[in-house]
Amino acid sequence: MTTTDKLCRSELFSGLSPEQVGKIAALAEEVVCQSGDVVVREGETGDEVYVVGEGMVEVVVPKGSIPDVPGPPRVKSLVELGPGQSFGEMALLDRGVRSATVRCVEDGTTLCVIRRQALLALCDDDPQIGYVLMRNIALDLSFKLRHRNLRVRLEEGGGAG
Amino acid sequence: MIYKVSYVVVDGSHPGAIINEDRPPSVGDRIRFNGEQFEVVEVIDLLPPRENFAYVHATCEPIQESG
Repeated sequence: MTTTDKLCRSELFSGLSPEQVGKIAALAEEVVCQSGDVVVREGETGDEVYVVGEGMVEVVVPKGSIPDVPGPPRVKSLVELGPGQSFGEMALLDRGVRSATVRCVEDGTTLCVIRRQALLALCDDDPQIGYVLMRNIALDLSFKLRHRNLRVRLEEGGGAG
Repeated sequence: MIYKVSYVVVDGSHPGAIINEDRPPSVGDRIRFNGEQFEVVEVIDLLPPRENFAYVHATCEPIQESG
């Protein structure tokens, strides 16, 4: 599967023509990760957005921190993201530091990495791409929030409806 | 059609997952996340379809694997 094919299966690029997705794919670099590899780390700066092509990553945040207690830091897993899902888009928009750590949980996970500056330059050159991409980022963040809300509700013993 | 599925585990034992699938999940399906197996117990349409995407929520329960 080509990078363009992988990106076409992501909602982030839904509504764009294959040619437009091809322009974005030309900016992307594919990297392959193994289980346990940290892709982005909470608190660090970063200017890339990632799309999972194959495999799975896990989004985690620290679960409290007790100074001077030995051992690995405890973390809370927020969600796992599989093929077609994106992460890193918050830093793309707000230029803040990474809000969570993302680590690979399957060997051979393939990620399409797109640098912020190049992507925003393409959006400036082709505002139709820019509009669709920003709309899709908003929709994806909304979907993630709905997932989180459903999770909280189910953990508290309610129904999904 | 690509099905963007929000899998949520009912007891919170697993954080759940968001995955694009080629077919929608059905009640009774078994799915494996990170080595753990789960059964789909409820499926609802989360949002109206848009372009080539459908948006689905699936509630899952852990399966106690014997042996």
